[in-house]
Amino acid sequence: MPEADERHHGPAATTISSSGATVATTTTAEPRAPEARRARAGVQLALCVAAIVLGPFAFRAINDARGVSALPPTYLPALEGPRERRPFDDGTRHLLRQMRPGYVIISDSMGGHIDRRTLQRLTQRPVAPLLQPASGSAWWYLALKNWVIASGVRPRCVFILFRDTNLTDPLFRIDGANRWKLDLVARDREEEVNAVIAARTRGRLHHIRTAIARAYQTEATREWAEGAADDAVARLMIRDDAQREAFLDALNDRLGRDHMRPIEEADIQAADDREAEFDKYVDDSFLPLMLRDAHEAGIRLCFIRVQRRPVDGRPAPQSPALRRYIAKLEAYVEAHGAVFHDDAADPLLLAEELYTDGDHMTGRAEILYTQNLYNRLRFLFP
Amino acid sequence: MIFHSVDFVVFFCVVVALYWRLPQRGQNVLLLVASYFFYGYVHPWFLILIATSTTIDYLAARGMERRPEHRRRFLWMSILSNFGMLGFFKYFNFFIDNVHAAAGAMGIETSLPVLRVVLPVGISFYTFQAMSYTVDVFRGELRARRNLLDVAVFISFFPHLVAGPIQRASFLLPQVESRRRFSMDQALSGFYLMCWGFFKKLVIADNVGVIANRVFALADPSFEILWAGVFAFAIQIYADFSAYTDIARGSSRWLGFELTENFEHPYLARSPTDFWRRWNISLSTWFRDYVYIPLGGSRAGGWIWARNIMVTFVLSGLWHGASWNYVLWGFYHGLLLLATRAHSILRPGAPPRRAWLRVPQVAGMFLLTLFGWLLFRETDFGAIVRDVQLSPFASTPLERQAGLYLFLVAFVYSIPLWGQSLWVELGLARRLDTSSPGWPRMALRAAACGAAFAAILVLRSETSLDFIYFQF
Repeated sequence: MPEADERHHGPAATTISSSGATVATTTTAEPRAPEARRARAGVQLALCVAAIVLGPFAFRAINDARGVSALPPTYLPALEGPRERRPFDDGTRHLLRQMRPGYVIISDSMGGHIDRRTLQRLTQRPVAPLLQPASGSAWWYLALKNWVIASGVRPRCVFILFRDTNLTDPLFRIDGANRWKLDLVARDREEEVNAVIAARTRGRLHHIRTAIARAYQTEATREWAEGAADDAVARLMIRDDAQREAFLDALNDRLGRDHMRPIEEADIQAADDREAEFDKYVDDSFLPLMLRDAHEAGIRLCFIRVQRRPVDGRPAPQSPALRRYIAKLEAYVEAHGAVFHDDAADPLLLAEELYTDGDHMTGRAEILYTQNLYNRLRFLFP
Repeated sequence: MIFHSVDFVVFFCVVVALYWRLPQRGQNVLLLVASYFFYGYVHPWFLILIATSTTIDYLAARGMERRPEHRRRFLWMSILSNFGMLGFFKYFNFFIDNVHAAAGAMGIETSLPVLRVVLPVGISFYTFQAMSYTVDVFRGELRARRNLLDVAVFISFFPHLVAGPIQRASFLLPQVESRRRFSMDQALSGFYLMCWGFFKKLVIADNVGVIANRVFALADPSFEILWAGVFAFAIQIYADFSAYTDIARGSSRWLGFELTENFEHPYLARSPTDFWRRWNISLSTWFRDYVYIPLGGSRAGGWIWARNIMVTFVLSGLWHGASWNYVLWGFYHGLLLLATRAHSILRPGAPPRRAWLRVPQVAGMFLLTLFGWLLFRETDFGAIVRDVQLSPFASTPLERQAGLYLFLVAFVYSIPLWGQSLWVELGLARRLDTSSPGWPRMALRAAACGAAFAAILVLRSETSLDFIYFQF
């Protein structure tokens, strides 16, 4: 790296003059006239900038050679350039049709709070959990629209479990590896979803990132370059493909949730107050679309805000901004005919032993949680 | 605001573009506004703290000069206000927890308040920097500044505000006060530093940080997995912290400032003494000048010297965070220095500097450093005890293979870091500079910048982690 040169000469060759001004470093051994040196530095800087701007265009050439560039735009052009997408999971719709669930649960890992068997036993109706770990409101909306509503089933209620400001944060968990999860629930064109994302990214500097990604086709490149180091190491250690895959699966299990220590800090940080502005964000979120589509399909929605992991038997702290946000969210949801339920400060959920890592619950706690929910929302379970 | 964000890139370009159009006084006004904007970007209330600290230190220093007979009082005013803020935000809960635990051990029930407030980022850095100003004025090594703006810029200068390197007033203040001229050489070297810094943060630190985080989240790591995680953390903390320093120094150069170096390839150190000459140099020298030497330094010799070393290192550990594991980490490094000294007393004379000895010396020191990082990363004493009791003979074949795999992945990501350290330490950089012709060298440098940016675009970790030293 050029840095190496700088390091070598940096502290030794740079001095502060009596006036305090810095005296330029000398980067070559032979003395040069200041103008010549300045010009040379200028040319070097221009070359570096040119290399930074033009160099990554090589990705386009590589992607052309790999046939990636011929791909059509994705369903989220506001977010990303062309890339190879995973197919829409049509099987879930068929399963829902066969199952005809009385209740559906849509969420990330928080959906695991509701124990399916317990709820089935209590309600005497099939329960379909549609859970995608580490997902956000974009995934939840698309699962509702493209799986539940599109399947034609009419469950008595669809539960959507969320944390704090998730429902008005459409950009939450839609980039990077999360894009492959979205592929499972997204159709080839998702114009309303794209419009929401475009609306939220337009005001910030997100469009710069998007423009860079498009210009250099970085998403398509990441698809094959990502994990290259990890793959190379795995191949070096284990030649056989099947054995290597088995090892990586076993490794993931060994480092997985079952082996984690209870981490109080994990996932329990209160939502950033910047996101806790309901009026500012609600129109550019998936919440209005969820409420509209569910209403048109005659499906009742129940939004459940899950409890953050309690601290010393007390509810996790909430900022005043978050409290105001939740009050407005509740009023909005109920004004649109849906049900809102807040687990926060529920005394039955304050014991720390109910939780494993962060705000995930133990198996026994999930049964307790489901019974508690059933008792508190009896009107949803006729 | 964080360096590795588009927000910062835009902010920085705007500041630089405006900066060089202004006269010196205007530049300082812009720097202050930009620094406060940078610092208050997420939590504007942080600005109250830094503004308070600045005002008190300015007044204290002025008071020392105007009323020399009360200068000790003014010094205490500065010390109490700076350490008061630091203690309240950083150590209050630690204190309460320990009181609670001690009372519990004696069977006394306590109900003490807990502070539920975000620790202001960088508070340890700027309070130490502000302290250096008032202490230097107190010692008569620096004159008190009349211009509040200059003092405010010195304390809040945004490139290094959040995670250092901590600058001495005698070094940075004259630069704030003097006229600055744009230098293409300086801008170019700053550009290199920033490129390298962003690469280290986004490609190396964040990728190996994911490994370290996963390992240290395990309740039951095996010996191999644990030490692969410790190795990953060692790479992460060096890449992360030195990246911040490089970006800070690089962006300062674009504004006509020079900041002191903070790292000199610490993992190539041969001994504990050598390590502390290379690691977090600005903090080490701060503790040396304001704690170790006032305590008596090495003048007294013997036990007094040993006490001074241990006090300095324990305080340095505590500076990092309000947790006993940091104290333990400082204590451990203090012990290493004492052991080095004891060795030199038992075997007097200069240690042999044979070239072949360097490899085992560096490897040995690196292993000692790794153990220190285990103490640093594990915040729970029980976990530390468990970790040191782990046996390599109790691991399953999968765990051995997993440990090797994680180590190799971390090592692959760290190759540029090792390469750069060796490149400089072996003098290859100087040789290339003096022997190779101009244009190929320029092309090589440009290609390196292009490659670094391309790598950032496609190899940066999905998990963007905060700079580790933000929490301190």
